[in-house]
Amino acid sequence: MIQLKRPLIAALLGLSLGTPALADSMIGVAAPFEIQSPDPSTTGHIFTNMGIAETLVDADPQGRLLPGLATEWDTSEDGLTWRFTLRENVSFHDGSPMTPAAVVNALEIARAKPGPISGLPVAAITADHDAVVITLTEPRAALPAFLAESRTQILAPAAYGPDGQAVAVIGTGPYRITDLTPPLSLRATAFADYWGAQPHVPDVSYTAVSRAETRALMAESGDADFVFNLDPASVTRLSQSEAVQVISVAIPRTLLLKVNAAHPFLNTPEARQALSLAIDRAGLAQAVLRYPEGADQLFPPAIGSWHNAGMDPLQYDVAAAQALLAQQGWAPGADGILARDGQRFALTLTTYPDRPELPLVAAVLEQQFRTIGVELTINSTNSSEIPAGHQAGTLELGLLARNFALIPEPIGTILSDYAPTGDWGAMGWDNPEIVALAQAIARGEGTDADRARVSAILQTELPVIPIAWYQQTLAVKAGIDGAVIDPWERNFGLARLRFTE
Amino acid sequence: MTTFSNTLPPGRAIGAVVLALMLGFALVGPLLVPGDPFAQSLMKSLAGPDSGAPFGYDHLGRSLWHRLAHALRLSPAIALAAVVTAGAAGLVLGTLAAARGGWVERLLMILADALMALPGLLLVLIVLAIMPGTAMGFWAGLSLVLWVEFFRLTRAATRSTLASPAVQAARLLGFRWPYVFRTHLWPEIAPLMLTAAAFGTATAIMGIAALGFVSVGMRAPTPELGLMMVELLPYWREAPMALLTPVLATFALLLGLTLLAGGQKA
Amino acid sequence: MNILISRLVQAATVAVLVGAATFAMMRSLPGDAAWRIAAGRYGYDNVNTAAADAVRAELGLGGHWFPAFTQWMGDLLRFDFGVSLVSGQPVIAEITHQLGASLWLALTAVGLSLLIGPPLGVLAGLRPGGALDRGLLVVSAALKAIPQFLMALILILVLSVQLGWLPAAGHGQARHFILPALALALGLAAVNARIARDAMASIAAMPFYHFAQWKGLSRRQVLWRHGLRNVSVPLLTYLGLQFVTLVEGVVVIESIVGWPGIGHALVHAVFARDVPMVQGTALMLGLGFVLVNALIDLAVTRIDPRGAR
Repeated sequence: MIQLKRPLIAALLGLSLGTPALADSMIGVAAPFEIQSPDPSTTGHIFTNMGIAETLVDADPQGRLLPGLATEWDTSEDGLTWRFTLRENVSFHDGSPMTPAAVVNALEIARAKPGPISGLPVAAITADHDAVVITLTEPRAALPAFLAESRTQILAPAAYGPDGQAVAVIGTGPYRITDLTPPLSLRATAFADYWGAQPHVPDVSYTAVSRAETRALMAESGDADFVFNLDPASVTRLSQSEAVQVISVAIPRTLLLKVNAAHPFLNTPEARQALSLAIDRAGLAQAVLRYPEGADQLFPPAIGSWHNAGMDPLQYDVAAAQALLAQQGWAPGADGILARDGQRFALTLTTYPDRPELPLVAAVLEQQFRTIGVELTINSTNSSEIPAGHQAGTLELGLLARNFALIPEPIGTILSDYAPTGDWGAMGWDNPEIVALAQAIARGEGTDADRARVSAILQTELPVIPIAWYQQTLAVKAGIDGAVIDPWERNFGLARLRFTE
Repeated sequence: MTTFSNTLPPGRAIGAVVLALMLGFALVGPLLVPGDPFAQSLMKSLAGPDSGAPFGYDHLGRSLWHRLAHALRLSPAIALAAVVTAGAAGLVLGTLAAARGGWVERLLMILADALMALPGLLLVLIVLAIMPGTAMGFWAGLSLVLWVEFFRLTRAATRSTLASPAVQAARLLGFRWPYVFRTHLWPEIAPLMLTAAAFGTATAIMGIAALGFVSVGMRAPTPELGLMMVELLPYWREAPMALLTPVLATFALLLGLTLLAGGQKA
Repeated sequence: MNILISRLVQAATVAVLVGAATFAMMRSLPGDAAWRIAAGRYGYDNVNTAAADAVRAELGLGGHWFPAFTQWMGDLLRFDFGVSLVSGQPVIAEITHQLGASLWLALTAVGLSLLIGPPLGVLAGLRPGGALDRGLLVVSAALKAIPQFLMALILILVLSVQLGWLPAAGHGQARHFILPALALALGLAAVNARIARDAMASIAAMPFYHFAQWKGLSRRQVLWRHGLRNVSVPLLTYLGLQFVTLVEGVVVIESIVGWPGIGHALVHAVFARDVPMVQGTALMLGLGFVLVNALIDLAVTRIDPRGAR
């Protein structure tokens, strides 16, 4: 009652409107992702990020795997049988204990839905004393990393309806949900029986705000304490504000141009290299994205083991691009656009506005490609048009932001995207060498040299053209300590936050 | 009923002048200062006015002068196309309903009533989702929304005119429909239609801008008023004039139209 | 009675129109609906062939249109709106949840507009041609030319960004109401004020009004007994018509400030091709209009029995 009345009166009097209404015990998070439902397959990432649900395996910022709900794991000689020993004395938010059977139930349900884990060669998942045993039909060295993915979070059996859809979020994390109102908000409070250290901040809330400008305004006005994913202009503005601290970290996500390598204009590495040479990455990064640098290869430095510092970086050289295209038989037409055998070098670039920088970058690319005589038509549409166009073979160019950290080990994404093609990766491209390398690495037989070779193949063949490495940005209200960005986008780290005295 | 006097009331005259200025800028502006609304120069991002761009540059270094002129052609063009289509449909169906009466009239009235109950933006959104092109979708959706007003006005005016002794006499004398329409109906309907057309155009322009602003309308990089505002909103602190340019232009355009329409919509 | 029957016919036609339009939307989506729905459900990082195939299998998309259409309309007539394709929750549950948020916003806006507009209009109408009257004319002409989204933008820039008085977005507390409600209310008030002014001016000019003053009632009594009663009829009728404008405003404003209402849900559903949600929300808005106008018809008949037609 008192909680409700106070802000009401304050508002009616027109007083204290600028002060944060939430009590000091609460941290309010604002991020772009909407709460679709209680089901981990659609919304799991929000529940793990908010510290509500947990996975068997955890990861540190460098991508090293750490114990989560499983304290240790090992594999048999042949790599086909994995045993995950479960943490003891863990209870779900409804008070029930986390048993091996409950974990098996959660994993089986997750496996039946779309997600990285459903693509694994799993033969069976069984409970065994204090452990869960997963048997595979072929080795997968990265299996523990797959179990760090948010959709493999462990919810209590009571959380699922008879059809396997979650109807409530009964997790094991440091916070338990007190109020879940899809699609925009949830509230949670510290879970007294949490197995680990109690969080310092007793209450947290999450608000989905899809517009980047609005999120920035909320950070500025103090209406949210912890604001994720700011647009480039707001970062500049908020950095000058004393009320907030802006943190930004390179994350394993790359802004790239997906190329249909089977398209008659783009079916040679030289043609794709010409497009790459036409992109002024430094100018684009500084003026549009306001990042310190562009991407000179596919894998960002944040993915240490895959980033190949020894390679020749991708260059910006309009003259070289024009020369390459001239060798391919292209000649400028009357309108400045290249032509060959009566066909104009005109392509459609598909992108999506969910990430606000993508249409901006598309607009810049349109101009930069025009200088080498390539005409782009921009189609900014639903994100599904890219994988759908891939399947239909109709996509020409796609501008997208690819996350290499769906699991904290990029091999999952490389297998699905480049060995040899994938919905969000290479298209119309065939390279047996990269397939063999990726499969070996997935089995656990790969070396650092193999990874470097994969990077080198992608750099010369350019089945996708890297443009920029993402920075994740976070605005934290002054007076809150301990904020760290998880580059794997798995955990907001709310349990570590504390208020400055 | 509204009558047209030879001299416009002051409100309408101001509206006409404002509107003429805006459209004049849209048509002549790019001729006075040649340039390309799509050409970028990232070095000039958010820079102030210069000789090539009298209104300064947007976040991608595109000339706001040229983008604004383009935007001021695009929305009114779509709006006018929709109003003409809707006006023609409303006129034909309205006259038909009043002349034929019976179930034709009743069915049309029921349809019009039902459409009135649905928010126009909702219909436009659904049509946009069905139609392939955005401009075509706006044209179709807005026409669907706007015809109702023309239909109701025409039907009401036609009914009273058809019942008048002059028309009765003309029909008895054997004059054909086109003649009756031209000499008796049109002079009665025309001023109403013009007011409704001005309101309809304003409604259409507002709708296009509103949907652009919530990112479900025209798509980047098309220069469109609502889209320009939402693109420039994050740069409010750095370049307030850049954001105010489309805001003021939209306001002036709509003010001109509402003043020109005069009177109350209700 | 007549009024109610015609409103019922209107409601039925609205239902048929919405049903047919959303069915057409479902059928003629550019591209494959399963892909769109998968994108809405799983997000851009995770939408892929497997996700789209799972959606297609689950929803049984495809098949001949006619049996699908009769089934669609049958479900609609039984008020079975089905399940949201994105969240998997029953549409009716989501809508009832969101309707509350939107109703509060709309009612606050109407309340604010009535507090601002009619009092000014009545005052102006008592002295036609006075300073207040002329000032009001200019202000309301300007306000009418500002669409609601532009008003919201201006208020956000002035009240939130520059002055820092009000939050730019968010919901759940009283202070979150002010900005979106004000953005809606100012436009409504502009027209309210004009209508109240015209009604008041014409009433004040009528003989009975002078007669009432002459027979010794105080100015205040005359205003209460004869003035306001007659002003309220055109105001009420106008409010009914404005309902559609209000709803449109709610759709746009909710999207801008992230208000968890029916308008926000509608824009999202259209974007994610969540057709059952589009159908449910559209129907709710259309029927809401009919209901509000039916109520206003009745209220007007009560206040002014002469006008019953």
